[in-house]
Amino acid sequence: MIEVADLWFTYPEGTIALRGVSLRIGDGESIAIMGENGAGKTTLVKHFNGLLKPQKGTVLIDGVDTREVSVAKLAKKVGLVFQNPDHQLFSSTVEEEVMFALKNLGFTSEEIKERTNWVLKFLDLEKYRERSPLSLSGGERKRVALASVLCVKPKILVLDEPTIGQDAKQKRKLGELLKKYQEEGNTVIVVTHDVEFASKYFKRIVVMAKGKVIADGPPNKVLTNPTILNESSLTPPQVAILSYEIAKKINNFPKDIVLFNDLLQEVITRVKR
Amino acid sequence: MRGMLVVLIEIKNLSFTYANTEEPAIKNIDLTINEGEFVLLTGPSGCGKTTLCRCLNGLIPHFYNGEMEGDVIIDGLNTKEHPVYELAQKVGLVFQDPENQLVSLNVEKELAFAPENLGLPREEIRKRVEETLQLLKIEHLRHKAPYELSGGEQQRVAIASVLTLKPKILVLDEPTSNLDPKGAEQVLKTIKKLNEELNVTIILIEHRLDLILPYTSRVVLMDKGEIILDAPPYEAFCSSIPEEIGVDVPVSIKLYNELLKIGMKFNKVPLSTKDAAELLTEVLK
Amino acid sequence: MSYTMFSAFEFKRKDTYIHNLDPRTKMFMTLIFMTVALLFTSIVPLLITFIATLIPVLLAKSVKEWLSSLKGTTMLLVFILVINSFVRDLNFAVAMVLRLIVLITAFSAFFLTTHPDDLAQALIQMKVPFDFAFALSMATRYVPTLAREAQTIMDAQMSRGLELQRGGLTQKIRNLIPLIIPLIVNSVRRAMSIAESLESRAFGAIKKRTYLYQLKLTKGDFLFLCFLIMYFVTMIYLKFYFPFTTWMEWKLPL
Repeated sequence: MIEVADLWFTYPEGTIALRGVSLRIGDGESIAIMGENGAGKTTLVKHFNGLLKPQKGTVLIDGVDTREVSVAKLAKKVGLVFQNPDHQLFSSTVEEEVMFALKNLGFTSEEIKERTNWVLKFLDLEKYRERSPLSLSGGERKRVALASVLCVKPKILVLDEPTIGQDAKQKRKLGELLKKYQEEGNTVIVVTHDVEFASKYFKRIVVMAKGKVIADGPPNKVLTNPTILNESSLTPPQVAILSYEIAKKINNFPKDIVLFNDLLQEVITRVKR
Repeated sequence: MRGMLVVLIEIKNLSFTYANTEEPAIKNIDLTINEGEFVLLTGPSGCGKTTLCRCLNGLIPHFYNGEMEGDVIIDGLNTKEHPVYELAQKVGLVFQDPENQLVSLNVEKELAFAPENLGLPREEIRKRVEETLQLLKIEHLRHKAPYELSGGEQQRVAIASVLTLKPKILVLDEPTSNLDPKGAEQVLKTIKKLNEELNVTIILIEHRLDLILPYTSRVVLMDKGEIILDAPPYEAFCSSIPEEIGVDVPVSIKLYNELLKIGMKFNKVPLSTKDAAELLTEVLK
Repeated sequence: MSYTMFSAFEFKRKDTYIHNLDPRTKMFMTLIFMTVALLFTSIVPLLITFIATLIPVLLAKSVKEWLSSLKGTTMLLVFILVINSFVRDLNFAVAMVLRLIVLITAFSAFFLTTHPDDLAQALIQMKVPFDFAFALSMATRYVPTLAREAQTIMDAQMSRGLELQRGGLTQKIRNLIPLIIPLIVNSVRRAMSIAESLESRAFGAIKKRTYLYQLKLTKGDFLFLCFLIMYFVTMIYLKFYFPFTTWMEWKLPL
């Protein structure tokens, strides 16, 4: 459980990144934190694993104040995957790269072996075990970076802009993977401005603008609200635009559909009448 | 209204293998592009799109080592026989990360950089800088440093900085990848304007197809180094190939294809969300 | 990693008399101050020089940035003070500390008020080869980018449990590997990417490049240069020709 209460944070150069954010994230939730660049999304999630400490307000992870624990200690519970995998990769083999976090966090050699095997299988990286991570393609490196954090099996998994530079197939695989991980009881949080990805794979959308949370709810309520979208410089998902436009002219047509299959079903049902 | 069709880009049987690799990154590429076209180049990661772009302004073979077979002829110039700085006056190449393209400390100097490199007289440089600033409506950014600009503004400056060489062709390699939706829209609007108002030939690599598909004249689909489809947008997306290889099919077309499957008939293919809404509204009335 | 040590040398755009001076004038200023500082070993003349060096910093409204650089070098200054009091005496030590402060301030006054692009242009007009001047301005342009990247890499590795403070010396050195390798790899990648972009914009096309902006010395520059020369001549006179009075040789009452 993550409890953020009236969180304020200002960077040393003077930018006020967070202006009183309050948020509660329960176990097993799947959340997308959205907003334009500079809204405070990354600053917020860096508080979840203690990289940043609150200047005013509190952040509690499972009841523990993040100011009282080290980042390393929190890393066992909260896994943070950064946007650019090249900011993490440095080992001579993919296997070593994965073991890095496990070694740092004090797992036994048995556990290290077991978890490495598990994560390489889970992310379809077994064939690259002995390869150098730096020699892999962009998409593969992203998977290795994810593996190197996922091996810890953190109860809370946070990914910062995981879909940048990914093609449709890669995004689909990632979305399904995250869904699977969440269904095992873990909390999955992504920071993204990809409305299509967010509306498809996440049940709760938190929208931020200028350091504040301006919306918090399911995609079909949040990503179809013109005021929210305007303030956060987001565009609605294509499906939502379609349903909205159709609803303008057709009576009783729902104007807030966000999932493709829902839209398809709605159209087919009406056509068959 | 476009005038006579002028062939600007002619690629014949092109293959390229980077040095120290075994497999060619691109093979058997045959492509002809006319002036004024807006070509969307897309395909899954690793399909060779970026490599193809590099062949268009001479980075391949002059900057990247490897084995090149076949020919690329840009406005009559064979890229094997002309240096990059000459080809840069025909083809402007814009990359994904603005951070690595904006090297000067203010926008004005950034725009002047390319013509300065060619040794053009100062008055000519001044003229081109002013024209380009006005064209892209970025005069207000004139004295700003790169870090003072938003992502969308940075990419527009990057585009402006290659336009000062007055190329007829603009190639953009995933220019909106690092941008938020607002920034992406700004950049795509600019590209559209350059094509519609100035007849600049555009070759765009983009994943977010829904925003740009209605304005393209042609879709070139690549997979595993080869061109597997080269057709107008409505034709390209009516086939199942794009979905199969992992390209993001816009919702309007996906819906259209699904409704065709259950036997519905339409008189045109909706390329934009707006078109799809109109089409469906008609059907549901 | 703190940013304050660098902030004394990072250009900040302000509209002051000093900021608007030609970089070549400011280079001359730093040279003069440096030379004068090296001429003296007694407290009083160095104090006079220190005040002189402070004037451009004040005129440039950049006192805050300059102070933060001094804060960053306190350790070094204390070190110099201690070592020199053992080698000679406390008076000499204080004088040496003053001299170092003057040197730092002289360079600070230059870098705080000179746009790296203008510096590159000044070098070019002084017939330094373009490639060198350009490399210099590029380095300056990308310093904040690299600093940011280093911080992100540190954040990323700390999020994987890396503890930089833990362990003995060997462990601490080994802990640097997950920081240095990504930094180097990314820098090389970035360099390639920048090179590609430069090449695509005709970089290196011809030897005789043109420049949109030329630096020209103005009346303000000549005025400042006059002051600098007068100051220099005065200090030389004090050093070699002025009969030494007791107040010049004043020492700390110890």
